[in-house]
Amino acid sequence: MIETQSLAKTYGRGMYALKDLNLKIDKGEFVFLTGPSGAGKSTLLRLLLLQERPSEGEVIVGGRNLSTLGRDEVQEYRRTVGFIFQDFKLIPTKTVFENVSFVQRVLGQPVEQQRRNTYQVLKWVGLQHRLNALPEELSGGEQQRVAIARALVNEPHLVLADEPTGNLDPDLSLEIMNLFRDMNARGTTVLVATHDRELIKWVGRRVIHLDQGQMIGLPEQHA
Amino acid sequence: MTVVGYSFEEALVSLRRSGRSALVSVGTIAIAFATLGGFLLLSVNVQGVLDRWLQAAEMSVYLHDTASEAERVSLEAFLRSQPMVAEVEYVSSERALERFRADFPELRDVTSGVGENPFPPALEVRLRTENGGDAAADTLSRDVAGKPGVSDIRYDRRWLARLVGIVTTARLVAALVAGILMLGAAFTVAAVVRLSLFARRDELEIMKLVGAPFSYIRGPAVVEGLMLGCIGAAVALAAIAILYSTLSRWLGSDLAGYGVIGQLRFLGLTEFVMMLLGGVGVGAAAGSVASRAVR
Repeated sequence: MIETQSLAKTYGRGMYALKDLNLKIDKGEFVFLTGPSGAGKSTLLRLLLLQERPSEGEVIVGGRNLSTLGRDEVQEYRRTVGFIFQDFKLIPTKTVFENVSFVQRVLGQPVEQQRRNTYQVLKWVGLQHRLNALPEELSGGEQQRVAIARALVNEPHLVLADEPTGNLDPDLSLEIMNLFRDMNARGTTVLVATHDRELIKWVGRRVIHLDQGQMIGLPEQHA
Repeated sequence: MTVVGYSFEEALVSLRRSGRSALVSVGTIAIAFATLGGFLLLSVNVQGVLDRWLQAAEMSVYLHDTASEAERVSLEAFLRSQPMVAEVEYVSSERALERFRADFPELRDVTSGVGENPFPPALEVRLRTENGGDAAADTLSRDVAGKPGVSDIRYDRRWLARLVGIVTTARLVAALVAGILMLGAAFTVAAVVRLSLFARRDELEIMKLVGAPFSYIRGPAVVEGLMLGCIGAAVALAAIAILYSTLSRWLGSDLAGYGVIGQLRFLGLTEFVMMLLGGVGVGAAAGSVASRAVR
């Protein structure tokens, strides 16, 4: 599903955020990306979401070399990827329902389909009773569940999450991780960047360690 | 929902949110288009009056008060024999005075105070403009000037031609001024649209990340500019209409003497639609330029 070949990203004069990174994530895998702050976790996710372009090497997702994509192809590619951020990135002026349906709306989906899909995904994350609430009226865990619903409403093949539990307490974090496990059980490839080792142990999936932009040690598998 | 429907909906929301800055934008567009429309209205009417004056271009041959009847008849016969003369009419001093009093009733007292009739008798000559034009008229003017009994000759067409030249130059200057104002208005619209894009930056960022087509991302900005332009042009047209109606009422009696009143007209449907489309075009172009900030 995801493959990087000699991937490097530099900022400024030779400051490597990622260096000679070669990794492979299979379709349907659930993988944690971990490491200290500045290890390159977020940079890798930004490269996978094409928010940035690599300085060297290749990123291949679903058989497509991301470096070769033009502007419109980038948008087309992003429609196949769901993303979740630590700060939720919800639109404050829109309701829960609108924040999720908005994704389908801007993709030109028919209104009926937008409503049906949005309701289903919000029901799946357990927020069907908060459809008309604004983000500021929700708890952190609820806001993150809205963000997860938004990421999933298009039924993406790949979900990227950057510190999705960074702003949540341990109980809520486990709740969110359960949602990730469920989406993975449905066949979605999941890549979660986190430095929360307890959470990684609890979920028990493959772990990729990054430090100073490089992969260290062998990929780890928790039982 | 189509991109057009989405863009209009979002643009309306954005306009409501922009508030005062949107008003400033509409104001600058309105000023630019009111200037353009004002010049256009003036130009259309001045051109109409000039056309009528040109059609009625006359050569006035003023006679000495002492000119004899025989001299006048001989001169009239000479003029009628000229191929470029269409019509000759004798206007006596008395008739000239009557005509003046009828045309300028508010100046009636001026003529009463003079004592004797200040208007000389004249032969008013209507020319066939197709026969030789100004050069032939000049020759005729010179020939007539040498005839006995003639005191002066006024040939209207010459100053009318000068007036046409001035009007043409004024029209060019007006177009230039309107163009500069419109450019300024376009920059204002672009700035307002940029501000609203900035206010929506989080939303735009999310739209990009979910893979929204660029038409959905930029569409609302273009439509917002288009709406600002259209509203601005409509406000300008309304202002011009009110100004026109007020001025034509106020100046009615003053203009009557020049044969202008009753001939004035407001902008035609074509000019009206062109102004609105111009507003839409300028606004949409400004919105489109501003939307390119979203990459």
